[in-house]
Amino acid sequence: MTAAPSSLARSELPSGPPDSQLVRIRDLVYQVAGIFQPDNKLRMLEDRCAKRMQVLGVSSLRDYFECLTIKPIRQAEMVSLLNEITIGETCFFRNQPQLDALRNIVITRIVEARAKLALRHLRIWSAGCSTGEEPYTLSMMMLEETAGKLKGWTFEILATDLNERSVAHCKHGTYGDYSTRNLTPHFKQKYFIARGEELVVNPEVKAHVNFSRVNLLDNARMAFMKGIDLILCCNVLIYFDVMSKRRVIQHFYNNLLPHGYLFLGHSESLYGVSEDFRLVHLPSATAYVKAEKRQVNPQVKI
Amino acid sequence: MSDQPREALLKRLEGMEQMPTIPVVLAPLLRYLEQPLDQLEVQQVVDLISQDKSLAAQCLHMANSPLFGRWQTVDSIRNAVVALGLQRMRDIAVSCSVLTLLPKEKTILDPVVFWEHSLGCALVCRQFARKIGFPDPAKAYLAGLLHDIGIVAHLWILPREFAATLQQAQTQHIPLHEAELATLGLTHCETGKMVAERWHLTPDLVAVVGCHHDASSATINRDLVALVALSDLLCRMEGLGYGYVEERQVNLLEQPGFDVLLGECPTLQTFDWARFTFELEAYMEEVHRLVSVLYRAQ
Repeated sequence: MTAAPSSLARSELPSGPPDSQLVRIRDLVYQVAGIFQPDNKLRMLEDRCAKRMQVLGVSSLRDYFECLTIKPIRQAEMVSLLNEITIGETCFFRNQPQLDALRNIVITRIVEARAKLALRHLRIWSAGCSTGEEPYTLSMMMLEETAGKLKGWTFEILATDLNERSVAHCKHGTYGDYSTRNLTPHFKQKYFIARGEELVVNPEVKAHVNFSRVNLLDNARMAFMKGIDLILCCNVLIYFDVMSKRRVIQHFYNNLLPHGYLFLGHSESLYGVSEDFRLVHLPSATAYVKAEKRQVNPQVKI
Repeated sequence: MSDQPREALLKRLEGMEQMPTIPVVLAPLLRYLEQPLDQLEVQQVVDLISQDKSLAAQCLHMANSPLFGRWQTVDSIRNAVVALGLQRMRDIAVSCSVLTLLPKEKTILDPVVFWEHSLGCALVCRQFARKIGFPDPAKAYLAGLLHDIGIVAHLWILPREFAATLQQAQTQHIPLHEAELATLGLTHCETGKMVAERWHLTPDLVAVVGCHHDASSATINRDLVALVALSDLLCRMEGLGYGYVEERQVNLLEQPGFDVLLGECPTLQTFDWARFTFELEAYMEEVHRLVSVLYRAQ
């Protein structure tokens, strides 16, 4: 047997092993920021690094790694690279597996836990809501459930961001093609009003969302965010140093009710940051729940 | 519950006449590769694999996948054995052989889905084993690959009953073994154990096949069983299950296998589950690609 398999087109194979310098950068980004690029996204990471290398006039990944680690610009450069990595992630229904898990499993569990309390009301917090696509997505999803799992329930979505202009954009609620690219015709028709080339979020969706400017490191403001069932904080903590992350996570822990959930961005992790939360797996998504004293039940079957 | 009681189903399963035997090439190959490495001859392995042209072609496809560490094309079984080593070629040959076990006619379970789950689980087991310092990653691969052979038996011997079971699991979004227990009164673990014993698989593999949904019930090789149980669960949660979504929340640290494995591999205490989960994304993509190529080559 000497012939190469006929159906094995060369184009189907990856072009080569991952560049070791690129893997070093991937691991550094994960260590510093907590966001991971799996092997199938390394090409994308390479493109993002290339953009930054062009700006800096750096010719090799080895030199760029130095820019991220030992050069005086290292902190600013890490922020610039993270901006490149997360660019274009802002849109409605950004992370569908996460939203499906939230709607199909998490809301059910929260409602079950909440049913023991008198108040049939959910409090959801979009922490670092940027231009508002995430909180409005959540508002639409919850409205879809008001005839189902949330029948007889009310809900509110707290949407906060550090950036005043982002908050103003949120309140305006007007979006172009790029932000709305994942919206199905059902959601467009039901929850938006067309205005020229743009779509405006309708008053029903807006009515459930309260926007405000909050610095997640502001202890006084954070202490006021109480009784939360669910926090989404996507691609925000990656910009914080480890001490700041710990502070914010400690606040989140205090803000959440005992049954509460914390969702981070795609491929974002709390590893090495906090022992207060436990990772849980949902279908094609992960989330964090408040850690309790471990009780291993030998009867639970996998 | 099926209209036939559990005992009647077990009786039908016991004969296993409809079920194919372990592929002809595989048994001698496995026996040969059990010998100490310094006694093995590359040519002997090449000859064994090359006896079956379809198997040889599939082995070449797999040997060229980055999942097996290759980044340059190997164009013959001999080159593959030399480049990858005997142990990896064993993994590849066994993987390809397992893929031939499914019925050729259309069944309720898409063969591509089953292959993807088995191969994906094998790879996750191997990678998980390496990461936590489990002593035998190659064994973990084999165990992951074979853990669901009970499903193969169900497809051959109880096709009608299993179809109803899988439909129930899909409709209710529940784990397959729970639906099996509800509808058949037995699971693919019990059936798989019968197959594994009939095929004279080693006791550790029999334990994995028989106990991977209840690691605490294993009496031998509990660490290997636990490792496969956790890997299997992770695969299913990450979309490499049986073609449907199990709508549930899982804390891997609370699974019965976790403490068992922790006893054997203390590094598990500080294991970064999040990163491991994110890494699987690339595995999934390559498994889908590879199985699609293998399926076309069959």
